[in-house]
Amino acid sequence: MMGRDRPDLLLILAAAGILVMGLMTVFSASRVVVEEGLFSKQVLWTAIGSLFFVAGTWISFRRLEEIAPFFFAIACLLLLATLFFGSGPADRWLVLGIFRLQASELAKASLVLMTAWWLSSLRVKPRRMGELLVFLTVLPAVVLTAIQPDLGTSVAMFLVVLSMFIWAGYGPGWIFLIVSPVAAAISSTSFALWLGFTAVLVFVLFRRKATVMGWILIIGGNSLVAALTPMAWNVLEPYQQSRLLTFLNPAADPHGAGWNIIQSEVAVGSGGIFGQGYLQGAQKELSFLPARHTDFVFSVWAEETGLLGSLLLLSAFMILIWRITRAARKSVNPFNSLVASGVAAYLAIHVFVNVGMTLGIMPVTGIPLPLMSYGGTQMMVVMFLLGLAVNAGMYWREV
Amino acid sequence: MRRSGARDWPYALFLATVAVSFILLSVRLVELQVVKGDYYRNLSSSNHIRVVSRPAARGQIMDRNGVILADNEPAFMVSIIPSEFDTTTIDLVASELEMEAQQIEEILDQAASVPHRPVVLKEGMSVDQVSGIAENQYRTPGVIFDIAPLRRYNRAEDFSHLLGYVGQSDDEEAYHGEVVGRAGLELSLNETLRGTPGLRREVVDAHGRVVETFESTESEAPVPGRDLRLTLDASLQAIALEELTATGMPASVVILDYTTGEILCAASAPAFDPNQFARGITSAEWNVLLNDSLNPLFCRAWAASYPPASTFKVVTAGWLLSEGLVSPTYMPDPCYGSYTLGGTVFRCWSTHGRLNIVQALERSCDVFFYRCCQFGTLDGLVAFAARFGLGRPLVSELVGEKSGSIPGSEDLDALYGVRGWGLGNLLNYSIGQGELLATPLQMAAVAGVIASRGSMPVPGIVMGEESEPPLLSGGNLPDATWDAVSLGMRNVVAAPRGTLYSVFAGSPLEVWGKTGTAECPGENHALLIGFVREPRPLAFCVVVEHGGSGSTTAGPVARGILETWLCGEAGAV
Repeated sequence: MMGRDRPDLLLILAAAGILVMGLMTVFSASRVVVEEGLFSKQVLWTAIGSLFFVAGTWISFRRLEEIAPFFFAIACLLLLATLFFGSGPADRWLVLGIFRLQASELAKASLVLMTAWWLSSLRVKPRRMGELLVFLTVLPAVVLTAIQPDLGTSVAMFLVVLSMFIWAGYGPGWIFLIVSPVAAAISSTSFALWLGFTAVLVFVLFRRKATVMGWILIIGGNSLVAALTPMAWNVLEPYQQSRLLTFLNPAADPHGAGWNIIQSEVAVGSGGIFGQGYLQGAQKELSFLPARHTDFVFSVWAEETGLLGSLLLLSAFMILIWRITRAARKSVNPFNSLVASGVAAYLAIHVFVNVGMTLGIMPVTGIPLPLMSYGGTQMMVVMFLLGLAVNAGMYWREV
Repeated sequence: MRRSGARDWPYALFLATVAVSFILLSVRLVELQVVKGDYYRNLSSSNHIRVVSRPAARGQIMDRNGVILADNEPAFMVSIIPSEFDTTTIDLVASELEMEAQQIEEILDQAASVPHRPVVLKEGMSVDQVSGIAENQYRTPGVIFDIAPLRRYNRAEDFSHLLGYVGQSDDEEAYHGEVVGRAGLELSLNETLRGTPGLRREVVDAHGRVVETFESTESEAPVPGRDLRLTLDASLQAIALEELTATGMPASVVILDYTTGEILCAASAPAFDPNQFARGITSAEWNVLLNDSLNPLFCRAWAASYPPASTFKVVTAGWLLSEGLVSPTYMPDPCYGSYTLGGTVFRCWSTHGRLNIVQALERSCDVFFYRCCQFGTLDGLVAFAARFGLGRPLVSELVGEKSGSIPGSEDLDALYGVRGWGLGNLLNYSIGQGELLATPLQMAAVAGVIASRGSMPVPGIVMGEESEPPLLSGGNLPDATWDAVSLGMRNVVAAPRGTLYSVFAGSPLEVWGKTGTAECPGENHALLIGFVREPRPLAFCVVVEHGGSGSTTAGPVARGILETWLCGEAGAV
C-alpha cells in the first residue's frame, strides 16, 4: 500500500538548530566586517531559504523527474556564462540585475537531480555502457566548475556523483574501476605503489569475471595512463609544473592561504573547552581571521563556544545527515531515494571538507559550510535540497 | 524486498563513513582545543604568530669545467613588519642602516596594504653592518634581520652579459625578500635557478621578540634552485674579454665548437660588474652605467646585429656553387674596380682582374659576386642563407638575441613597394650589404656550418640539455661546394694575397678565415669569421665596432685569443 508520512521532525529540528547557530555566528563575525548589513541580509536569505524549503517539501517528485535534465542544462549554461561574464571573488558570480548568482552552487543541486534521473532510469531500463553515459552527462558541469577555477567544488561534485553510484548499489570494485585512471596517475610516482595498484586492479577484474576485452581495455588503459603521466609531467617547463602544483594545492602558497590556516587553528584552539564566550573571540576581533563570515565561519563559532559548542554543531550536522540517509532508505521510489542520498552526500562532503579546512587537516578550498556560511545562493540551494529530502522521506510504499 | 535489502550495505557504508569523518573532526578538535588549548589561548591573547619566508639559495652556475661563475654568499637582510613597527623609531633605524628616513617612509607606504608581511629595507649586509641594528632591536619593534643568500658573481665582468644579474622582485605576489633574475640567463632560466622558499613561523611577544618557533606540519626548509652547467669555458672567456678590451673599442667575439654546437665563448666589451645589482645598485652607480657612451650594459655578441659585409661572401659562394650557377674554375669578366648596373656604379675596394671563385674569396673581390649573383634570384639566395641560421634567433636562453635580417622579395615589396626595388638589392646582398643584418653569434654559426660541412648542431649554451641536438642546416651540399669555399677561406690566410695573410704570418695554427668591413657612419665596423680544426674544432666571429677593416683590427684580436688559449703563453702547440 502507498502512504504519506508526516515530515521528519528530528530532521527539521536539526536543520533549524544549525540555522540558529549560523545566524548567531554571522552576527558575531559581521560586527568586525567593514561591509554593512551582512547580518540582516543573512536573515533575509534564511527567510527566503525557508520558502525554498517549503517548496522542496511540496513539489511533486514526478514533475521534478521530468524537469531534471532541463534544470541541469540551464545550470550548465549558467556555468558557461559565468566563465565569460563572471565577476566578484575569482569571477565566480554571475550578476543578474540585483542578484549575484553563484552558478556552481546551482550546478551542485542540478547534478544531484541529473544523476538521480539517470541512475533511476538505468534501473528501469539498463543499457550497454549506461554508466559511462552518466559520467559523460555530468562531465560538463564538473569541468566548467574546475576551469573557473574552482577545483575544490568540482572534486566535491564528483564525490557526490560517486556516492550516489554507491547508493544505487554499485559495489566497491565497480567504484574502484571508475576512479582507477586517477589512481593510476597517482601510482606512477613510485614503483611499489604502481605494483600494489595493479595487483588490486587484477583482483577486482578477476572477481568481477571481466571479459577478455574488458581485461585488455582496463589493464591497458591504466598502464598507459601510468606510463604517460611522468612523461607528460616532464614535458612541462618548471614554471608550468609549479603553477600546476599551486593550482592543485593553494595552501603551498607561502603567504596566502597558509597564513589563514594558522590563524584559524589559533582561533579554534584558543576556544578551549568552554570557549571565549559569545561575541568575545579575540582572533575574530583582531581581524586576524580571514573570511570570518564565509569560509571560516566555523572558526568563529569554535573560538567563541569552545569544544562543547563545536561538538554540538557537529552533532546537529550528524543527526541531519543521518535522518536524510534514513529518508533515502525509506523512500522506495528509486529517483526519490537517490535524490535524498545525493543530498546526504552533498552535506557530508561539504561539512567534512569545510570544517577539516578550518582545523588544518584538509586542503584550502572555497567550499562553504552549509546553513552556516554567509551567502544567498548556497542558502537557497541547500534549503531546497533539504526540503526534497524531507519530501522523499514522506513517501513510502510497502511491497 | 530485494531492492531495499540490497540497499542495506550502502546505508551502512554511508553512515559508517559519516561517523568516521565526524570522529576524525572531533579528535582534531580535542587536540586543538583541549590538548593545545592553553598554548593557543596564550598565543591569541598576548603573543602572535608571524610568517617569515626563508629565501632559497639560487642554483649555482658553472662553466663547462666546473668553474663556479655564480654562487651565493651568506649575508644579512634587514626587514620591517609595518604592523609591528613603531614609527617614532624611524630615525634611529635610518641612521643604523645609513638610509634616509624618507626612504623608509616610502617603503612603508608601499607596503601599507599588507601590514603583517615583512618588507625588505636593506639587503646584502655584512655582520658588522647589521650589528648596530641588532643591538638596538629591543628599541625598534617590527625590525627584523634574516640571513639571506646574496648572489655572487665570481667572474663578474667576463660573464656579465651572459649571466645577467638579479634584483629584488617588485612583483606584488612575490614573497618577502624574493630575488628574481633581471637580465641574461638569470632572467631566462629564473624558474630553474630560483628554488622554492621555505617558511618560518615565529611566535613573537608584544615587543617583537621571537619567543619560539611555531611548529607546523608543513615542510618549511627552503629548497635551493637547480645548478646550471654552461658550455662556456671560463679561461677562454677571460682571454677573449682581455683581448677585446685591449682594442679600446666596443667589440665582441663568439667562439663555438662546430662539432657539437656548444658555445665556448661569447664575450662583449665593455662589460660591467653584475655584483652591483645583486647587492642593490645605488643610483650613482646606475647613472655611471647609463651615461657611459659605450653602453656597457649592451651585449654586442648577440643583441647587436651588423651588416655581415664580405664575411657573407662565403654564403654567396656556397649558394653559387651548390646551385650550379658557377663552377669552381669559372672565371667571369675581370674586375676593373667597379661594376655598373643600370646607371648605378657598384664599386669594388680594389682592382682584381680575372679571378675564379676561390680567388674571389681569397682577395674579397666584390665585382666577381656582382657579376655571378645575377645568374640566380634574390629569393634563392635568401632561402640558402636561412640554412646557415641567418635571419632567426639561434639560442632560446639568450635574452634579447637579435634575429638579424635577411628580407626576401615579399619583405622588400612591403618595405619599398612592388617594383620599388630591383636587381641592385641582390648585388648588395651578394657582398653582405644592403638590408642584410646578422649577429656575431649567427656569423660564428655560418663559419661553423662551413667547417663542419653542414653537420653542425644548433648552437647551445647549457650543457647536456638535449642528448642529440638537431642540426642547424637542413640538407647536404655537394662536396665540391664545401671544398671550394673552405679552400677560399684557407687562402685568405695562407695565400700571400689573402686579406689575412700578414695578420696570421708565423702563427703555429692553421686558420681558415674571411674578413669583412661593414660600412657605417664614421669609421667602418671590422668583422672576421673563421675556424680552426686543430688542436680543437672551433668556429669564431670577431666584430670590432668602428675598427676600420677586418684585417687590421679584428684579425689581431682573433689571433691573440686563439693563440693564447690554444698554444699557451709560449706560443707552442
